[in-house]
Amino acid sequence: MAAAESPSAALRRDLCSRGIRLAGKMRADVVDLLDAYVEQQGLDASASVAAVEGVPLAAVERWDEQTGTQRLLENLAAYRAFRALLAQMLEEQREQLGEADAGLGRALAAVLLQVSAFAYHLEELLRLESREIPGEEEEEEEDGPPPLPRLSLFEQKLRGLGVLRELAQWAVRSVRDLRQLAKPSPAASTAPGLAESP
Amino acid sequence: MFSRWSWVACGFYLVLNICSPDASSGLVQSCGHIIPESPVLALGSNFTALCILNESCLDFGNIYASQIIWKIKNRLVPKEQYREINRTVSSVTFNDTSSLATPLTCNILADGQMEQNIYGITVTVGLAPEKPKNLSCIVHQVSRFTYVMTCTWDPGRHTFLDTQFKLRYSWPEEVFPDCIPKDVNNSCSITDIQFFVNTEIWVEATNALGKAESDRLVVDPIDIVKPLSPQNVSVTSGILPTVLQLTWENWISYAVMTLKFNIRYRIVGDTDWMEVPSEDTASPRTSFSVQGLRPYTKYIFSIRCMKEDGQGYWSDWSEEKIGTTIEDQPSKGPPIWRIIDTSHSPAFWTVHLIWKALKPFEANGVILQYEVTVRDKSSLSCPVKKYNVTSTNHTLQLPEGTYEVTLVARNSVGASPPSVLLIPASNSKAPVKNLRTLPKHDKLWVGWTAPNSYVLKYVIEWCLVSSSSDCIIEWQIAQGDVQGVDLKGIKPFKCYLITVYPLYADGQGSGQSVKAYLKQDRPSKGPTVQTKKVGKAEAVLTWNHLTVEEQNGFIRNYTILYKTIDGNETVVTVDPSKTEYTLSSLTSDTLYTVRMMASTDNGSSTGPDFTFTTQKFGKGEIEAIVVPVCLAFLLIVLLGVLFCFNKRDLIKKHIWPIVPDPSKSNIAQWSPQVPAKHNFNSKDQMYPEGSFTDVSVVEIEADDKKSFSEQDLKPFDLLKKEKSTSEGHSSGIGGSSCMSSPRQSVSDSDEGETTQNTSSTVQYSTVVLNGYRDQTPLQVFSRSESTQPLLDSEERSEDHSGGADSTAQRQQYFRQNGQDETNTDRPCFERTKQITHADEGDLVGFVQLQISGQSSQPLGLGMEKNTQEAALSSVLQTCTEGQTVRPGTVEENPLSVDEMPKSYLPQTVRQGGYMPQ
Repeated sequence: MAAAESPSAALRRDLCSRGIRLAGKMRADVVDLLDAYVEQQGLDASASVAAVEGVPLAAVERWDEQTGTQRLLENLAAYRAFRALLAQMLEEQREQLGEADAGLGRALAAVLLQVSAFAYHLEELLRLESREIPGEEEEEEEDGPPPLPRLSLFEQKLRGLGVLRELAQWAVRSVRDLRQLAKPSPAASTAPGLAESP
Repeated sequence: MFSRWSWVACGFYLVLNICSPDASSGLVQSCGHIIPESPVLALGSNFTALCILNESCLDFGNIYASQIIWKIKNRLVPKEQYREINRTVSSVTFNDTSSLATPLTCNILADGQMEQNIYGITVTVGLAPEKPKNLSCIVHQVSRFTYVMTCTWDPGRHTFLDTQFKLRYSWPEEVFPDCIPKDVNNSCSITDIQFFVNTEIWVEATNALGKAESDRLVVDPIDIVKPLSPQNVSVTSGILPTVLQLTWENWISYAVMTLKFNIRYRIVGDTDWMEVPSEDTASPRTSFSVQGLRPYTKYIFSIRCMKEDGQGYWSDWSEEKIGTTIEDQPSKGPPIWRIIDTSHSPAFWTVHLIWKALKPFEANGVILQYEVTVRDKSSLSCPVKKYNVTSTNHTLQLPEGTYEVTLVARNSVGASPPSVLLIPASNSKAPVKNLRTLPKHDKLWVGWTAPNSYVLKYVIEWCLVSSSSDCIIEWQIAQGDVQGVDLKGIKPFKCYLITVYPLYADGQGSGQSVKAYLKQDRPSKGPTVQTKKVGKAEAVLTWNHLTVEEQNGFIRNYTILYKTIDGNETVVTVDPSKTEYTLSSLTSDTLYTVRMMASTDNGSSTGPDFTFTTQKFGKGEIEAIVVPVCLAFLLIVLLGVLFCFNKRDLIKKHIWPIVPDPSKSNIAQWSPQVPAKHNFNSKDQMYPEGSFTDVSVVEIEADDKKSFSEQDLKPFDLLKKEKSTSEGHSSGIGGSSCMSSPRQSVSDSDEGETTQNTSSTVQYSTVVLNGYRDQTPLQVFSRSESTQPLLDSEERSEDHSGGADSTAQRQQYFRQNGQDETNTDRPCFERTKQITHADEGDLVGFVQLQISGQSSQPLGLGMEKNTQEAALSSVLQTCTEGQTVRPGTVEENPLSVDEMPKSYLPQTVRQGGYMPQ
C-alpha cells in the first residue's frame, strides 16, 4: 500500500502527522504557558473568563459530521485569530514588563511561532485539496474579528488568559481534526464521515 | 636654463596645489585623480586604471598625460602597459591582478628629472566567496524546554577579503532572523527552533566580489534532535537473583517526541559492556527489567535514548548506576586436592586437604562455611567424619588407606553440589605421558598425552623452585577430556616444577614432573672457578653450580676460557652436570687466567677471572732429583761415618786426647808443694808477646839443616809432615808450649783461628829466644832453661852421639806414644788441651820449619798414621823431646832442680808418661 501511495497522499499524511505532533506540542507548551502566565500576571487559575471575541470556539456541535475542508478552514481561521491575539499579547507583555520577564515573553513567542507553523500546515493541506486559501485581510474584512478594543490592564490579562485557554482547547481539537484527516478514506475529506468519538 | 626654472615653478605650483587650502574641496586639491578609486579586484582578472589630470595644472605647469608614470608600491610599471588616451588622461592595464600591490600611484616626471606624485589608490585583490558546502544541522536539547540548532558548513576557499556568512532559515510564509556566526565562519547556532515544521536552511557568503549561497536544507528540526540522556537512573534488585530493575526519567515530553532506548551493563571490574537487545527497548518507557544476570554480582548500568523513529541522534550515555543482584546457592563445589605428608610415619598420614575458593560467579554469594566429609573406604564400619571449616584447607591425621573426601560450600541461600576427592592407598595407576610445556605470552601451557584409561580429572601442581625456600605448591584441576592447560601467574626467568596427576574413578595415577621456564634469560652471573690442583702441565678446575635463582634458564653448558698472559684464549665446553674439569697440555711455570661461562638458551654470563701458575716441575721430578742427592749425601755421610769409625782411635785421640792428670802423677804425689808453686798464669806476665822476635830461629834452622845429615833432619821432617795437617800443637821447640804456652792468654781470645798464623810463629820463636834472653833467672829457668838448653844439649848430643841415637830415641817415643797413649800421653795431651784453641802460632812454627827443611819423608812409626795422627805425634813428640831432654838437663844442671821443681821435675820423673823414654 505504501508503494501505491501517491506523492500528494504521502505529503498529506506527512503534513497531518507533523500537524498532529505540532498541535500536541503546542498544547503542552500552552498548558505550561498558562501556569506561568497565571502566576506572572497574578491571576487565579480558576478565574472564569468570558469567550474571547474574534476566536471561534473549539467546541462545536456535530463535530463528527464536518468535512475535512470544513475542519481545515475552521482551524485556519482560529489559528490566524490566535496569531493576531498572541502577537498583541506579546506586544502588551513587552510594554508591561519590558525585559523583566524574558522567559514569559520567550514562551509566548514560541507559542506564537507554533501557531503560525500550524496555520502553515493547514494552508498546505488546503492546497493539497485544491482549495482556495482565504486571504487574511479579506477574511478580516469579511469574517475576521473586528479591531481589538482598547482594554484596561486587567482586562488585557484576563483576555490573555482566555486566549491561552482557548488555544489549549483548540490544540486538542486540532489533533483530532488532523487525525481525522489523516485517515486514508478520501471520502472523508469531501463528505461527512462516520461518527467518531473525539 | 629656462626649462629648469619652469620645472621649479611647476613643482612649486604642485606643492601649492596640494597644500593650499581650498574653501570648496577641502584641504587638498590634487592635480589629478585615478579611476577607479580603491577598487576590489578579483584575483587573476585584468584591470585598467585611468589617471586624469586637472586642466588647471596643465596650463600652469605644462603637465601632460604623456609625462605620467605609474608605480606599484614604488616600483615602476613598465611603459608598455601605459596608454595615453588624451593630453590629460593616461591609462595603465594589468593583465593579471596578482601582480598588483598597494598603492598604485600616478606620477608626473617633469623634465625627465623630477618625479611628482599626482594620486594614489589602494587596490584590494581577492576572491569571490565559494558556495558553502556540506551544510548540516543538529538540534541539541539543552534543557527540558530548550533546544538549540547548530548548523555547520564548509566555507570554501579563503577569499582574502572580508566575507560575511549568514545562516538563514525560513518557513514558506515566514522568514526568521539570520544567524550571524561569531568569530567563526563555518557554524552558527539558532535558539528559537520550532518543531514539526519543515524549515528551509541555507548559508549565504558575501564579500566585495560577490555572494554565494549553499544548497538549501529542508528539515523538520524535530528530526535532527539529540535529546538529553535519561535522568535519575536507579537500579533495584528484584525477587529473582538474576534480575535487576532499572528506572529513569526522560527529559523530553511525549508531546515533542517519543523515544527509544539503549541499555548497557557490565560487571564491576570488567571492561566489556553488554547491551540489552535494542528491540526490547524500542518503545517509550521509563523502566526496564534486565534479566539473565549473575546472582550476587555488582552490575553497572547506563542508558541512552533517541527519537523513536530513529531519526536524529542518540543522546549521550546517562550516568552510570550500580546495582547488585541477590544471592543464590553456589553453583558448583570447590575444586579440592590434597597433600599427603608421610614423613612422620609411612603408615600414618598427615593429609592436608586444600581447596580453592569458588569464584564469585560460582559462589553466588558469601560462602559462610565448608563442610568436609571423610569416609574410610577400606573399612565400612568406620563412621563418616564431618568437619565444618571456614578456611580453604583442613589437615587430617589418617592411617594409611583409601578415603573419599566430600566437600560442600554453603552460603546463606544453600549448599553447593559436592566435590569428591578419592585418596587411594597408593598412586599406582598409569601416569600421563609426554609431559611438555610451551610458553604462550604470559601463560605457560602444559600439555600431556592422556593415559589409555579414562581419566576423570587431571591435577596440575606447580611450584617455584628456589634454593632458599621450600616449594610452595599451587595447583589447578583440569577436566579429563583436556590434554593441556594454561598456567597463569607464572613469572618469567623463574624455574617451575610442574607435576601432573591423572585422577581415575578408582584411584590416582602417579605424577609426572617437568621443569619449565616461562621465559629464559642469560644467567645473572657466571660460575666462580678455582683450581683444585695445579700440576706442571695440567690443572684441575672446580666450581659450584649456579643457584636456581641465578640460572634464569636451563644451563645448557659451561664454557671454560683460559689463556696465558700473551697467548690466545682456549675455549672448552663442559657438560652442565660437571663441577670439575682438568685442563691439560698446559705450559709449565706459566701464569694462566681462566674464567667460566654458563650458557642458557638466551645467553651467557661469565664469572670472575681466576689466575694460577703451573708448576715448574712435574710430579716426581723433584723426587727424582732430591732422592738421589739425598741418597748420595747419606752414602757419603755413611762412608764418612764408617771411615771415622774405622779411624775412631785416631779421631778419639785427636779430639779427646788423653791428657795426663798432673794430680795423679807420682811427682805430684811425691812433691806436695808442686801444685802450690805451679802457676801457669805467671807465664803471661813473664813472656809478653811484644818482646818476641823470630829472626834467629829460621836462619839457624836453615843453616843448620844444610849442615845436617839426613838423619839429623829426620825429626824435623817428621815435624814438617805432622804440621802439614795438624793444628794446635806445640812446636818441637816448644816443650814449653806443652807445659805452659806463652800465648795462653792470647789463645783464649783467639779461638777458632787457623793455625797458619805467621806472626804467631814468629812470636813463638821469639818466645823461645827472647824468653830465654830476657827472662829473669827464675823465669828463664822455668821456661828457657827447660828448653833451650835442651836443644843445645840435644844438638850437642847429636853431635856427640850421632843422629842414629837420636832417631832411635824418637822412634821409641813414637812407638811408646802410640801404644800407651792413654797412660803416657795424657798429661801432655791435657796440657795441649789447655791451649788447643790458640796454639796455632806454635803450629805455624812448624810450617815454617817444614818449608825451610824441604823434607817430607815419613819416618818411623809416625808415618804409618794419618796426618792428624802424625800431628798429634809431633805434638807428643815435641813434648816428649822436651821431656826427654829434661832429664838430661836435670842431669846437666842439677842445681836447677831446686829452683824449678814445679814445672819440670814432675814431668821428668813421671812414671806413666816418660819413664819408658
